This record gives sequence, C-alpha cells and structure tokens, in this order.
Amino acid sequence: MKKIAVVIALFLAGAVNGFAQEAPKLYTLPSPFERYTHYLATARFMGSMPLGSFADSYVNKASFQNASISIEWVLRNSPLSIGGEIGSTYFQKRIPRATYQNGDETISAVQTRTLSQYPVELFANYHFLGKNSTIQPYVQVSAGISIVDYNLYYGSLSTQHQKIAPKYGVGLGSKFLFKQDGKFGVDVRVKYDGTSYKHEYIEKGVSSINGSIGVFYRWW
Amino acid sequence: MFKKASLLILIASVGFISCSKDPISDLSTEESLVYLTNHDKAASFNQYKTFSIVDSVLIVENNRSGTALSDIDRALLQRIITNMQSLGYKYVSPKSNPDVGINAAWITNTYLNVASNPYSSYYGGYWGGGYGYGYPNYYTYYETSESYWLITMLDFKNPNNADKTFNVVWDAQIRGSGIGESQYIDKMVDSIFGQSSYLKIN
Repeated sequence: MKKIAVVIALFLAGAVNGFAQEAPKLYTLPSPFERYTHYLATARFMGSMPLGSFADSYVNKASFQNASISIEWVLRNSPLSIGGEIGSTYFQKRIPRATYQNGDETISAVQTRTLSQYPVELFANYHFLGKNSTIQPYVQVSAGISIVDYNLYYGSLSTQHQKIAPKYGVGLGSKFLFKQDGKFGVDVRVKYDGTSYKHEYIEKGVSSINGSIGVFYRWW
Repeated sequence: MFKKASLLILIASVGFISCSKDPISDLSTEESLVYLTNHDKAASFNQYKTFSIVDSVLIVENNRSGTALSDIDRALLQRIITNMQSLGYKYVSPKSNPDVGINAAWITNTYLNVASNPYSSYYGGYWGGGYGYGYPNYYTYYETSESYWLITMLDFKNPNNADKTFNVVWDAQIRGSGIGESQYIDKMVDSIFGQSSYLKIN
C-alpha cells in the first residue's frame, strides 16, 4: 500500500512537475505582437468639423469626404509606435448670390468655397495598455506638411491657390482588436488638425476637429 | 494576409480619387452668372442727362472684331436702354451730342494651355524671369475659350482732348455659362445696373 502511494505521489509530482515545465511554453508564451516590433496599417474614413476663424471666415460646414491611410511600427518593449499617415480632406460651402468688393470692383456671384488638403505626416502614438489588450487607448501627436488646394468659385469662374504648408495634430483614440492576439481590428480616433495656411479669406490658418473610424491590420 | 492589406489600401485609394469631384457641377445656369462692375470714383453721374447706345454689338474674338445684331444682341441693347431710362437718363440719337455713350461687346478669348506643367505653383509662383517655357513636343495641350459681355459707358461730355480719349466712367462684365441664352438677358442687364446704384440720377 505504501509503495503504491509513493508511486502515485511520484507520478503526480512528475505530472505536476511536467505541467509546470510545459505550461509557460504552451500557454504563457508572449504573443509575437509583444515579442517583436511589428507593423500596423490603418485605413480611416473621417468626419471633419471646421473650427475657429477658418469656420467663421471661410467654410463652417462639416465634411464627410475625408480619408487617410497610415502605417506604423509598433515598438518592442515600449508603449510607443511611430509611423506615417497620408490623407485627403475636403471642405466645401456654397454661399447664395451676394455682392463682393474686389478693390474698386463690385462682383455679384454665387460663391462656392472649397479647400482640399493632402496631408503627409509623421506621428507617434503612446499606448496606455498592452499590445494584446483587446482595447488599446492611445494619444497621438503628429507633424508634417499639407498640400493645400484653395479653390474659390465665383459662379463658374474659379480662383485657385496651391501651397505646401506645415501642419500638426494631436489626437486621442483607441484600437479595438476583433479577437485577442488577432491581426484585424477597428480604430477610432478624434484628432485636432491645424495647418498654417493663409490666403484671402483664410487669415489665421486652417483648423478642424476630425473624428475617424478605421480598420487596421497588423503583421510582423 | 498581405493581399488583404493591399486590398484595404486599394479601397482607401479609390476613396481618395472619388473625392476630387467638380464642386460647381450642381450650379444652375442662373447661379453660374457673375456680374462685375467698375466705375470711376471721381465721376459725378448727376452731370449726365442724356445717353445714346451703339446700334449693334461689337464682337471681339482674340484679335479680330466685327459687329453683329442678332435677336439676343437686340434684346440686350433694348434692355440697357430700359434700365438707363428708369435710372433717369434721356435716350437720344448719337447725332444729338449725348452726355454718355454706351458700348456693348461680346468678347471671346481663347487660351492655349499645357496639360502637364512640370513647374506647378507648388513651388510658390511660376518660374520664369523673362524666359518662356520650352515644352517637349509630347506634352498634350488643351484649348479653353471664354466669352463674356462687356458693357462700357463713355463720358462724351468731358472728352480728354489732349490724348483724344473718352473716359470710361462705368463698365460691366457678365460672365458665366448662360450668357448666350436669351432667357437670361433681362436678368443679366437688370443685375449689372441693379448693383450700380450710384448711376441713378432721378
């Protein structure tokens, strides 16, 4: 009896011991997304609301014709990721017929005001939770340039001004993984964007608040 | 998995392209019309009592010119007379020394544009400095043509005898896509006079 008990005890101990050795490999091995610096690509569609003097003096209408794609490097052993983003934003507003003074000239016209921007930015994200957490809130700062295309139409006549202007942004967002350790997820972000551009009606730069929803894919 | 990622990028790119649409395609013909007026700030319109008008419309096409009097031209001239009369001016024959004379012209300018200009205005203005551009012959060109009405009022009362000119005391341009359509003539002429309230003398 004693012998049997010892054998069982040894067996159990062995088994437990075995489990203790196997367990880290099978179940607690960190995900490759935690072990490696990996890539993450995001495509976003944005709603954009003009702010401040840009809204007061040029276009104050919200726009939903905005999109961007970004690619980022999610750094190993760090809450940071860095990357680049290119996008396209478009504002437009129609003003009913009115008269305008252009120097001594009086112009009566229906104005169509548009502003297209093609921002090219570098950004850094700071993530508050781990890389495999299904919810990954982050804050973002970005800086870069914006290819600005100002088109002001008087009736069917247009005046155009194009310029490459510096831009910056600060954002708050979160990634949501579809499943733990998964490759796909949703990205939600609210971002303030400012572009240092002045022309005619735009006297103090272009500023807007942008809400975006996107999908991302990550790989290593 | 790479394929899925590139598909996403492709969808996003298509989204970008579809954003660049024509923002004025939904303008009605009436909304497309633009009225531009200038006047001599030194001129006192109260000194003028009578006016006359040309008997046909001057047609200027690039450097060629001629005259025409189609139905639309006649309607334009007639509407100018009506507007001038309601502002207080007396319509007289050109032979009875009118104080002001009115010209009406239909002007067409044709421009040659180059489709792929490598020096875009992104560089902050056009390069040049006295040199023209030498475009390679494989570049594509497109031609744009623009027409507008130009109505000018000349001061016959105070001619500039030294250099034999009449001062233009007022002019108006009518531009846009509907300017050749007769149903807009009255509206166009009424608009250019309507935004020039300083012409009123009665």
